[in-house]
Order: sequence, then structure tokens, then C-alpha cells
Amino acid sequence: MKGPAILLLHSLKRARNIVLALGILLSLFQLFLILMARAYEVEGSFAQMAALMPPFMRDLIGSSMASFLSFGGMVSLGYFHPVVMAALIGLEISIATGPTAEIESGFMDLILSRPLARHWVITRTIFASAICAVVVLSMMLITTALGLRMLAPPGSELPSFQLLFSLAANLGLLMLCWSGITLMIATTSQRRGVAGWIAGLFAVATFLLDYIGRAWPAAAKLWVLSPFHYYSPLDLIMGRPLVFSNLIVLAAIAAVTSGLSYIFFLRRDITH
Amino acid sequence: MTDVSAPAIALRGLSKFYGAIAAVRDLNLEVRTGEVFGFLGLNGAGKSTTIRILLDLLRATSGEAFIFGHNCRHESRSARAVTGYLPGELGLYSDLTGIETLKFLAGVGEQNVRAEFRVELQERLELSNSDLRRKVREYSAGMKRKLGLIQAMQHDPPLLILDEPTEGLDPLMRDAFYGLIDDARKRGRTIFMSSHILSEVERVCQRIAFLRKGELAALSNVEEICRLAPRRVRIIFGEAVPTPTQFPPGHEVVETSAKEWRLRVEGPLGPLLKILADRPVDELRVDEPKLEDVVLKYYRKERP
Repeated sequence: MKGPAILLLHSLKRARNIVLALGILLSLFQLFLILMARAYEVEGSFAQMAALMPPFMRDLIGSSMASFLSFGGMVSLGYFHPVVMAALIGLEISIATGPTAEIESGFMDLILSRPLARHWVITRTIFASAICAVVVLSMMLITTALGLRMLAPPGSELPSFQLLFSLAANLGLLMLCWSGITLMIATTSQRRGVAGWIAGLFAVATFLLDYIGRAWPAAAKLWVLSPFHYYSPLDLIMGRPLVFSNLIVLAAIAAVTSGLSYIFFLRRDITH
Repeated sequence: MTDVSAPAIALRGLSKFYGAIAAVRDLNLEVRTGEVFGFLGLNGAGKSTTIRILLDLLRATSGEAFIFGHNCRHESRSARAVTGYLPGELGLYSDLTGIETLKFLAGVGEQNVRAEFRVELQERLELSNSDLRRKVREYSAGMKRKLGLIQAMQHDPPLLILDEPTEGLDPLMRDAFYGLIDDARKRGRTIFMSSHILSEVERVCQRIAFLRKGELAALSNVEEICRLAPRRVRIIFGEAVPTPTQFPPGHEVVETSAKEWRLRVEGPLGPLLKILADRPVDELRVDEPKLEDVVLKYYRKERP
């Protein structure tokens, strides 16, 4: 087990800077959201914003509007803002395409010329993806909790830790789902850039599909094909419980795609 | 368990196809334990493909490869446990230092590296501790090659598979490398190396295999293969002599003048000596055949 552990540590060390930088950036974003929500709350701007919102937007957001336009809703935005999600999924794509980058550079030749079973390369990548996701989300959660404790205006309704944890857990599984999908694409690719682009485009396409599916009933049947369908932050903000079937679907996608990654990687030629 | 009585490398009907194109076709070969074996051929002849199949980086279409009796596909880890490998194109992480790279690779393979042996390799290849503390991105091509050689040899494996080992090394370092190979052979290690430098192969290898378009074109002792090569003969006469209209079979005229003949002679020299018997020979020089002469002949045959 020493060899695989060294391989994992090596990957974590390589991802360390980007994980810490992203964690700090998203944590700062959380602090700014808390400061912004505090200012709105103190000025009473949430009620004004709700009144100013055009009817079609109200229809689009639905009954969750009231929950979203609140102190707690704004603080929670850091867990489902599209840019935040793109950054977190980008991190997973970057880590999951690691094996292809090592094949492309020739470093994989040196790793696999050692008496190391091939499957450890995939196992290492899955562990690295999961650890990095947990680290970034933990940094965000800790910052949110500390920020709320220190900066929340007195008397305001704070988002519960259960809500924040549910958002983070669901988002974490969404990240692992994309890690699995990317790993599967990467194990069949010769170039990291190609694998990254395919995974990125697929993520954008399914995000748009989710967006359309939420707004247009005619697209509802296709909507279920998008992994983003299984992350409904507004429902959570409205106080609905975490839907475990969503978590199971995301975990199943991650498991199946990771399983296929093992099969593809064990069968492929290592050539650059 | 490693079977020491088994050949260091055995290839049995090994083939690798990419679609309809054969990279290696029906390759049969044995490398004996303790020998230094040269694996030759033009670019694209299938040398690296064969080496990568041995390391289970590529999967053979048919046939089998063995390292010390371990099937390179089904007992790949056992096969790789007794192997040190230097790839032709070395891929290194540029942001790691030399020593981090060596320690990482030894650790991943759970290989037992004796610090004194690594230091000896460093000293002989002139890669100092301060060099090893530098990032790989600061290394020259030659330094990277030295690092590649150290990572392949640092655990003193029974079998070394070296793909173009001296590419990028200066003549002094090449000499140092030859010394390391000699020492490894004396310790009973087997070396399987591909090289384009024929003088190097002639110097360090006992046997060679020559691959042509993925097939084994020749397999022989270096001495034996040189014996088959034409010798270069130069004869200088004391006075002008007529040139015979025809030389015996196996004699190829390179250049003749009134007082000098240059010939390439395949086979015994007796018939030539008979011709010279009644001529005023001042000087007769016979150059020993070189591996290069034979291999270049194979290379020329391969070129369209």
C-alpha cells in the first residue's frame, strides 16, 4: 500500500495550490455574500427587490422567490451560483484528466514501469478528486459558519447548518459525478486537452439542458438526463428536505462512470 | 518467484497490429540472463513497441512475452519488479527536483534503493547533489538523460531495458555509461538496449537482433555478424601494375589506380593473396569489419 499512497500524495501535492487558491477564493465569495446580504437586510432591500421583480421572473423562480430573496437565500447563493459550480466542476475536470496528462507527457511510462497495478492510477485519481472536493467545500462551509457568526445582523433569520450542509453535500456529489464522467472520457483519450474540452462542453450542454428543463415543460423529459437536474438548491432553500434519490442518482453516475474508467484504463495501450 | 533458469526475456510469436498495420509481426527471441543485448532497427521498425509490450504498457495482438519466466501480460507486476526501464522519450515533471523524482519513482515501485549505490551512479554520471536539488525544468537534455539512467538503475534490477540510453549524452558521459553497463554485466545483470549508435552497440553488446518492418531480420553474435561483413582491403604497389579484368567472387572493387587498389572482400583472403603473389606489393592493409558495415547494409535494404 506504500506505493499507491505515495502516488496519491503526489497527486494531492500537485493539486494543492489550485485547491487552496480556489478554496480561498470561494470562501472570500461567501464572506462577500454575507456582507452583501447583511447590507440588504439592514436596508430592507429584499422586500423592495421582490416587489420590483417582473412577473415572468417570478414565474421562472416560482415559489422559491421569497426564500431566495432573503438573508439566508443570498448567503446560500455561494453554493449554486453558476460561476461557483463551473469553478468546482472545472477543478474536478482538471484532476480527473491527470492520468491522460501523465500519459501524454510520458511520465506514466515511468510510473507503470514500476511494479504497480494499473488500477491504482484510477483509484488514486478518484481519491484525489474526492479529497479536493471535500477540502474546498469544507473551507466554504467553515467560512460561511464563521462569517454568519461574526457578520450576520442581529435578529435576521440565518440559514441553518443543515441547509448549508445539504447544499454542500449535494454539490459535492455533483462534483464527484463530473469527476467520474471526466475520468471515463479521459481514460479513452490520448490528449488531456481533448478530454478536458469534451467534458467541459458536455457539462455546459447539460447545464443548459437543466436550465431549459426547469423553465419549459416541453423539455422536461430530457431534463432528467442532465446531472444538474439532481441538484435543486432552491428547493432546499425553501425548506424542503434533501432528496436522497437525487444523491443516489449522482452517486450512481459517479460509480458507473468510475467503474467504466477502470475497465477502459486497464484495457488501453499506454502510448503518447 | 523469479525463475533464474528462465531466459531474461523471451518473445514467442509476438505481434502487435494497429488496424491492418503491423508494428511487430511474429517476433521470436530469447535474451539470456547476464548478456548485453542490442536491439536494432530503423525508426518505426518496432523496437519501442516490443519494449513497451515487455513492460505491459502496450498489449500484444497475439503471442506472448516473458521476463524471467513471468508473463508480461498476466504476471506483469512480477515482471516489472525485476526490471529497470529508461524510455526513449523521457517524460518528467518539470516542477519536481531531481531527487524528488528519484524518491517518488523508487517509492511508487516500493523499490529498495541503497543510498550508496545511488550516490555511486550520481558520481559516475556526474550529477551532483546540488544538481539533484534543482528543478527538472532547469536541466539540460543530457542531465535529464542522466536522471533517467539513475531512476532505471538505482534499485540495481536484474534486467535493464534501455531505449536509446545515450541519446543526448556527451562522449565522456557515454564512456561513463559504458562503464556502468560493464559493471552491471559483471554483477550478472541483463541489459536489453536499443540504440542507433552502432559503434556503441559493437562496444557493449554481445548479441544483437535487427528488426525490419516489425520482423526479425537478423539475430547473431556481434563477433559473428562482423565476421560476415566485408573487410576493407587497401593494397599499395611499389610500381604500376595492371588491374585484373575480373576479381574472384566476393571481391568488390571500390577504387583502383596504377599503384593502388581498394577492395571490399567477403569471405577468405586466400584468392586475393594468390593474385598478389607475383605483384610488387609495398603495403597491404586489412581493416577489421565493423558492425556498422553489416547493419548499414540491412538499413539500405529496408529503404525503398
